[in-house]
Amino acid sequence: MWKEIEKRESGRVRPRSFANRVKSSRVASLQLSNHKDIVSPHKGSVNSLQVDLTEGRYLLSGASDASAAVYDVQQPQKLEGGGLIAKHKPIFVIDKQHEHRHKYAISSAIWYPIDTGLFVTGSYDHYIKVWDTNSTQAVMNFKMPGKVYSTSMSSLATSHMLIAAGTEDVQVRLCDIASGAFAHTLSGHRDGVMTVQWSNSSEYVLVTGGCDGAIRFWDIRRAGCFRVLDQSHSQLGRRPPLLERSAMTKVFVSCVVTCICILGSTSRSSSGGQNMSKATAVSRKSSHGNGAKHSGSNRISAKGSIKHRLHPGMLSSQDRATAHYGAVTGLKISEDGMYLFSAGSDSRLRLWDIESGCNTLVNFETVRLQTNKPIQLSVSEDSALVFVPCMTVVKAFDFWSGKTYFTFRGHYEYVNCCCYSALDQELYTGGNDRQILVWSPFISYEADEGTTRNEDSWSD
Amino acid sequence: MSTQDPSSSSPSKGTKRRRDEEEAAAADDAETAASESLEQSLTFSDTLVALRMMRAQFPHIDKVSIRPFVLRSQLYSSVVDRTQVDRELESLRRTKVLRIFKLNTGQDDHAIMFLDDYLNQIERAVKRMEEKNVHDLEVFEWFKIHVIDTRLEPNISHQDLCSLLSLGGKVKDNQISVLINGGVIIRQLIDPSMYWFAIPNVGSMLKGLSQGRKELLSLLSRRRYKEMLLASLEKKRLRLSPLDMRFHLRDLIGSGHLKTIKTPTGLVVRISKE
Repeated sequence: MWKEIEKRESGRVRPRSFANRVKSSRVASLQLSNHKDIVSPHKGSVNSLQVDLTEGRYLLSGASDASAAVYDVQQPQKLEGGGLIAKHKPIFVIDKQHEHRHKYAISSAIWYPIDTGLFVTGSYDHYIKVWDTNSTQAVMNFKMPGKVYSTSMSSLATSHMLIAAGTEDVQVRLCDIASGAFAHTLSGHRDGVMTVQWSNSSEYVLVTGGCDGAIRFWDIRRAGCFRVLDQSHSQLGRRPPLLERSAMTKVFVSCVVTCICILGSTSRSSSGGQNMSKATAVSRKSSHGNGAKHSGSNRISAKGSIKHRLHPGMLSSQDRATAHYGAVTGLKISEDGMYLFSAGSDSRLRLWDIESGCNTLVNFETVRLQTNKPIQLSVSEDSALVFVPCMTVVKAFDFWSGKTYFTFRGHYEYVNCCCYSALDQELYTGGNDRQILVWSPFISYEADEGTTRNEDSWSD
Repeated sequence: MSTQDPSSSSPSKGTKRRRDEEEAAAADDAETAASESLEQSLTFSDTLVALRMMRAQFPHIDKVSIRPFVLRSQLYSSVVDRTQVDRELESLRRTKVLRIFKLNTGQDDHAIMFLDDYLNQIERAVKRMEEKNVHDLEVFEWFKIHVIDTRLEPNISHQDLCSLLSLGGKVKDNQISVLINGGVIIRQLIDPSMYWFAIPNVGSMLKGLSQGRKELLSLLSRRRYKEMLLASLEKKRLRLSPLDMRFHLRDLIGSGHLKTIKTPTGLVVRISKE
């Protein structure tokens, strides 16, 4: 370690690469923490965990007994075991005695991305509540038409404060904190929406995964979704090489999509099972979407199969492409915003290239995944590893080769959520056994050595 | 990677070994391949090699005439890198060497068949239907020429199907039912206007597949430690499935239900817990 620091000091190693090397060696030694413990007050399975985005200090958890709690993961309340084990008790708990409590399970608890003064909880009792952290009171209530499966707020947003909510209902609703009302709804899914994620590259792009197996990309400034991911569209590798694109085109079927000849804008053709909407979504790449869609809609109404005229933005509702053979239970966009990782109830994990909308065919070896609840995935910084809860273990897969690098066994029952904190390189996982476990880089303790304590406080 | 002389493939003492194979020797190897034990030929270096070997090892069944097919999970157990398998399958599919079909026997089952085997199978199905005096059989010709050549995905929508078939001639509704009766397309349960492509006359195989899987898993789970030596497991015969033990073993190992462990006395197959 000292040699590395000396090299950095003399300039032979760049500071960034030095930091990355230290971080990846710490991640490689992740195991059940022997010096940190989170005391969970929950009496039901832990459904959602999130570390706050501003300081990386407070962990918010939501559980099935309608309780939510916040913990300080950097400063412990108590030190036990001769000062070696830090016990982190919750700073406050919102439980069934609270006046503004939820009635049923909390499925998702997220921090307000700007600061830790607010947090949002969504529950199976059809309500989304916005809480003030300092006074622990619910300041806003949104009633949803069905059980709330997942909520999300954009961390990049500067012009809006919308909470995207995925519920049992087929429509995705956007709730506005500033006005206290619903902004608008996004329709296109055919079944409930299990996961929602905002994009890491644009504050207006939302990705949703539904129980019908479709993953849709929405631009909230427009009606309808602009892309539906189809698992049969695939590319061999990180980026489709230019020549490969022409290999991906399939033979054009003239009588189904005569419109495309009229549009004449794209050389890509639609494949089996697709129709006009997919072609317009594709043509959006080469030409700006709106013009192409408008001229297309006139032709569409002439087709016998579609009975009524559709708004050009709603053409995507006809697109029935599926990303998974079952429901989509987890979504995670990589840190650079270029790739999307999705988990489905068909026990498949897929990696999608967002730019081209194709499946990159990386095979993540999983046998079974939880099918009835949404699961929370997590990505390490610089997207080298993805942490996926697979039944009772959490597996860390290499992003590009799909190999299982680590398996974290510790929970007694199914794991529902995991959250990776990039600041300390720690992983927090919560499961049906009501525990929140901390996985941290290995620190060896020799009882008589004072230097280990030094190392501990230095590495903070 | 050692290259093996095909004519002198003597059985090893039970160690796993990889084989490099040239295409010219493939025909010679058909007999030796069929008689090899699973332990010797468990892993391969390349997807196409694995596909050819497994096709050669497909069990010969008297009652039902079916061309060999390979399951995707079998490929996963044979080639170490699964991403490589997926990508090679994708490029082979695009170059029309083989076709992939989605099966209804479970979560994510896919059957892979070489294209000429598939066309052969369709012809046998057509011949069988002719014997039963079914009319309108030219729709199969249209199907072969127009649909199979252009649609490479495992599913197709009703509109696409009709439009492609009408390139051959006038399409009537009962001709679509003839196709369904022949077994080349199957209606999807969740979406009435979409069809899956299917292998004709594969029904009894699929039933045998799912029953054989259950039987093999129950055979192992009844044992005290839920494991058995691969060599002795291979000698057993499954009562309910026409497919042989090697087929089922590859399939279950690839889908993760079973795992193989190296021991000093050979490979041991155990039921995996997660």
